[in-house]
Amino acid sequence: MKNLGSKLILVVTGIFIFFPIYAATEFSFRSGATHSHGLAAYRWIFEQSGFLENLGITMRITTLAVVLNLAIMVPTVTWLHLSGQRFKRMIEILTILPLIIPVVALATGAQLAMPDFMQNSVYELSFMYVVVAMPYTYRALDIGLSGHSLSTLTNAARNLGASWLKTLTSVVIPTIRPSVLAALFLMIALSLGEFTLAQLLHWTTFPVWVTNVSQQNVMGATALGMGSLFFAWILLFGFSFLGGKSSMTVQEEE
Amino acid sequence: MKISTTSNVDVKGAPVKKGAFHGFSTPFPTPLIPIFIFLLFFFLWPITALTGNAFKSNEGAFTFSNITMLFQDPYRMAFKNSISLGLISALVGAIPGLAIAIAIEKQGSRVLKKFISSISGVLANTGGVPLAFMFLAAFGPAGLVITALKSVGIDLYGLGFNLFSFTGLIIVYAYFQIPIMVIVITPALTSLRKEWKDSAASLGASKFQYWLKVGIPILMPSFIACYLLLFASAFSAFATARAMTVGNIALVPLQIGSLIDGNVTINQANLGYALAFGMIVVSLFAMIPYIWIQSRTAKWQNR
Repeated sequence: MKNLGSKLILVVTGIFIFFPIYAATEFSFRSGATHSHGLAAYRWIFEQSGFLENLGITMRITTLAVVLNLAIMVPTVTWLHLSGQRFKRMIEILTILPLIIPVVALATGAQLAMPDFMQNSVYELSFMYVVVAMPYTYRALDIGLSGHSLSTLTNAARNLGASWLKTLTSVVIPTIRPSVLAALFLMIALSLGEFTLAQLLHWTTFPVWVTNVSQQNVMGATALGMGSLFFAWILLFGFSFLGGKSSMTVQEEE
Repeated sequence: MKISTTSNVDVKGAPVKKGAFHGFSTPFPTPLIPIFIFLLFFFLWPITALTGNAFKSNEGAFTFSNITMLFQDPYRMAFKNSISLGLISALVGAIPGLAIAIAIEKQGSRVLKKFISSISGVLANTGGVPLAFMFLAAFGPAGLVITALKSVGIDLYGLGFNLFSFTGLIIVYAYFQIPIMVIVITPALTSLRKEWKDSAASLGASKFQYWLKVGIPILMPSFIACYLLLFASAFSAFATARAMTVGNIALVPLQIGSLIDGNVTINQANLGYALAFGMIVVSLFAMIPYIWIQSRTAKWQNR
């Protein structure tokens, strides 16, 4: 009986999650008012100016955000685990703050405070995205690192004469690869779909462009919305599969 | 989401040697400088500037008039709407989310867990125009569900249902709130040890008694913490709110958006900062208990 109940919950939620996806996908293949199906709505996307350009901008912002995120978070969290235990509590609280402050408020503040050289570059968004993703990326890395006796490994590497950089790239990163991938995954997910900061800081990224062109053509906008979702999902599933596979093998080793 | 994992022993139980990273263990935490600079420049500074401007008149003098405006309509109304949206949406997300997380724990299949956790991560980040169009295609006036129901004689819109209403907003928000709940409550569920259930059973407790005396008291703090997190998520949602409303529902994030976007006269910018400051205050009320609960439960959830 109990199992039947939990199966029922999974099925009902499954319908709630997948039906809108199905409905919008079906809708996006309709041709005009007739009920015949076709690719007209998808062809419309490529006729809109700025499609590739804005997709390119978002990909570049995402790439920079991923690089910044890894460059800052991986060494920081690693150090906290190895010798910075007493600062851990402080960093935990600091990194949860971006979750407390609404993004709308942060965007408003950034508009006020950022110097012109930052505000004149679309890449300011990458920096802001790293901050907004921090509550998630910090925790992903922290949980990953908690599962390993890193100090033993790094001490061994250091005693064998490896440099700091070498220790980080050849010992630490491969050990925590699943959690690095999880952090990467979260960063990409946030960056690909982020609308609030981009809109309020007056940048046209891909999600902002989608919102703007969606006002012209309902069918086309649905196709565009579904297309961009599927694009993000395929990308993210790819990453989570990579991460998931290795985290499972780690579990089995333990 | 584990907040505190502070411990002085590593997994194997051996004490962690301080200064294991030779040369990195100075009294001043030099390795933390990059993250400090980052947070200072891209987070604390904007928030400070925002707070300062919330208390400034257009001439730059100190004033409370922006803040007192928040207690007058339409801003008072917007805060009321946004807070109730947060409270209701969090409940609508938290209860099914908890049920799903429990169902997944029970099923126990690793493949299913992996699949649900991946898909939750993806769905939790769905919002804005794509999400609005998904619901428009399903529950809009010409949507699949609505036309199908109409063909069997049930006219939902005729009965007063409207996707572009407060209720509609709550339904749409559930689409990302439920997955967020699944993600954040799962660690708490895994901390419910099987041994407790077994020992309760061997002492003669029924399933109902186990949940009443053990399960619920242990899960309650985590559940409240997750509820508060969902509240903050719905309270501050901007992209989806913007795509789903046509100016018919006053919400604080949208008002800030239009005050800051330059669509209105410049002398209202400071009011926008005051609204943003008001949002921060409301979120603090929700999130300070969240941090407190999380750090308390993390102490014993870590085995």
